[in-house]
Amino acid sequence: MLSKPMQRENRGHKTAHAAARMALLTLALGALVHAAEPEILIGASIPLSGSLASFGSYEQWGYNTAVNDLNKAGGLLIGGQPHRVRLIVLDDKSDPSVTQSNTETLISREKVVAMLGSCTPALVNAGALVAERHKIPMVTPCDPLMAFKSVRPWKYVWDIFFEESDLGSAPFRMIADLNIQTNRRAVILHDNGPDGQVVGGQIWPEVAAKSQIQIVQNSAFPVDNSQFTSVIGAGKSNGAELVLVDAITPAAIAIRKQLAAAGYQPKLLVIEKGAEPQQFAQALASLADGVLVGGYWDPSFPYPGAADLARRFESETHQSSSQHIADTLTAAQVLLDAIAAAGSTDPEPINAALARTSKTYVTGPVKFDAQHASALPIVLMQWQRGRAVVVWPKNRANGTLLFPLP
Amino acid sequence: MDLVSLADNLLAGVLLGGILALAALGLSIALGVMRLVNLAHGEILVGGAYLGFYLLSLTGLDPLLGLPLIGLAMALLVYPLHRLLLAPLGAQGPEAPMMTMFGVSIILQNAMLLFFSADTRSIDRPYAASPLPIGPLSVPLIYVLGFAISVLVIIAVHLLITRTRFGREMRASAADPRAAAANGVDVRRIHALSFALGAGCAAMGGTLIGVAFSFSPSSGASYLLSGFAIVVLGGLGNIFATLVAGVALGLLQSLGGAVLGDGYRELVGLVLFLLVLAVRPQGLIAGRGA
Repeated sequence: MLSKPMQRENRGHKTAHAAARMALLTLALGALVHAAEPEILIGASIPLSGSLASFGSYEQWGYNTAVNDLNKAGGLLIGGQPHRVRLIVLDDKSDPSVTQSNTETLISREKVVAMLGSCTPALVNAGALVAERHKIPMVTPCDPLMAFKSVRPWKYVWDIFFEESDLGSAPFRMIADLNIQTNRRAVILHDNGPDGQVVGGQIWPEVAAKSQIQIVQNSAFPVDNSQFTSVIGAGKSNGAELVLVDAITPAAIAIRKQLAAAGYQPKLLVIEKGAEPQQFAQALASLADGVLVGGYWDPSFPYPGAADLARRFESETHQSSSQHIADTLTAAQVLLDAIAAAGSTDPEPINAALARTSKTYVTGPVKFDAQHASALPIVLMQWQRGRAVVVWPKNRANGTLLFPLP
Repeated sequence: MDLVSLADNLLAGVLLGGILALAALGLSIALGVMRLVNLAHGEILVGGAYLGFYLLSLTGLDPLLGLPLIGLAMALLVYPLHRLLLAPLGAQGPEAPMMTMFGVSIILQNAMLLFFSADTRSIDRPYAASPLPIGPLSVPLIYVLGFAISVLVIIAVHLLITRTRFGREMRASAADPRAAAANGVDVRRIHALSFALGAGCAAMGGTLIGVAFSFSPSSGASYLLSGFAIVVLGGLGNIFATLVAGVALGLLQSLGGAVLGDGYRELVGLVLFLLVLAVRPQGLIAGRGA
């Protein structure tokens, strides 16, 4: 005969065993239900490591959020039957050749019905060419439109991002709009990646000439360069009060530090691309204050779900939000809406549905032009005490420009 | 570019070369003593930058003051790596340890991605972004501090190798491991300690680089390349040759940057590396002493 404590212990064990059996049964049933429920596979190859990893983490969240929200709402109806969507994400290590092989794997081996793009022209275009060859629809954010359109006339790939000419002219338009006083001498430093060449090598010099701003130095450098003492020295000796940089984040951080270490204090510092992620401000602390960067989205914009999106990202990840969560969420939602509208997983109906897209998403209205591009209008943001504040144009600004550079 | 800017540039190159020499010293020690091509050197260097970063953020201790701790911590971390992974491969020729270190570099890079994320970081100190006026010239203060620290560490390593029993045993192991073992030297232990010493130096160099520039788990490869250029330029067997080679590389890179543009700095280093390999594979400065 068992004592009372032992009986209690025995009952406890029995209860625990019963609970465990129930849990196993539930899991097994869940697995069966999942196994029975048909899936739609979507692929994405994004930079989760390497020099562009700062963008990849936001992309991963944006894509996953769109897919998870859809699945929670019941998935996609194809032929009257609900389908769960499964997103397969591969790391392209910030290397275009890996993007290509990942895209090939996702399409050929995993049999995804559609793709979501990577980030930056080098990576996106590399994957897009593979998708185009396989006639698999791809929707991508994070690929400036001129660089996207210049590759080829696209049939299956669709891009939602800003136009480089809009981005490149923004600092000059801001100088005119806000009547900013400088000595109108500028230095340009840009990497030799596709977008760096377009923005720093073509657009900035052209717009500067039209704006009667003299370019005293224009230097290109390899994307992963880390030392800039020569060009900084040249800019300093020429007394340029306007410095325009197009570089990825590691180079952007190095340039900002080296400007300060050289005792060079321009009045206006624009760092496109690399100054955008939060880690730029985290790495530089107060040295990031006053740095301007082109942007295309902010939680204050009057689009459905904009304010909630940033809060949601920050509560889920405990990181500060970035505009990249918005364009990646939009790209994924555009693709999912197109699959729903097509009512099919065949590439041609999905592609035709993408062409008909006309809806306002969290980044604003999306409608593709004949070259498969949908442009996001540019604003200028400025880092102020660790936060990116919209300072131009006036009708979108939620802060005041810090001028001159502190 | 005016003369003052050019002089600023060249002086900055010399000072930065000193920092690069410290970063390359570990590679030189591993190659000189153990004939080990340490392909994980870049990751060890980046690991040092992370140690400096977290030392500052967790304890508030300035990473330059904490350099001895960072060097010691890295030495302690890698010592078992040698005993467990490299020592058993001692009789397998140079390829097996080299490939092992290649594997270790990938593992370390992925471990850093896992623990520290892929974010680009920089060690934020006021002196990292301050200029130091020297007459009409101006150089980054961190370059001057980094150069001074590098010279001090290199002198300390030189004294360790030339004035201590460990140094004698290390030189004996480098010259002829079998003869050294026959004379009672524990060659395995000396190799492990040399490996740890090299890693400690790399970690200190990595911290300086983390203060002056930026770093992420994948940034070790470019420093491995400049390290190889310095080791080839300096040759093996002379600690001070590494310093001279680092300074020469920094100077030539700056000259290349001033004449051809900053984008050609690395190219100058690599061309020099190949030229020296082709013309004088034993190194330009190589030779006598420790």
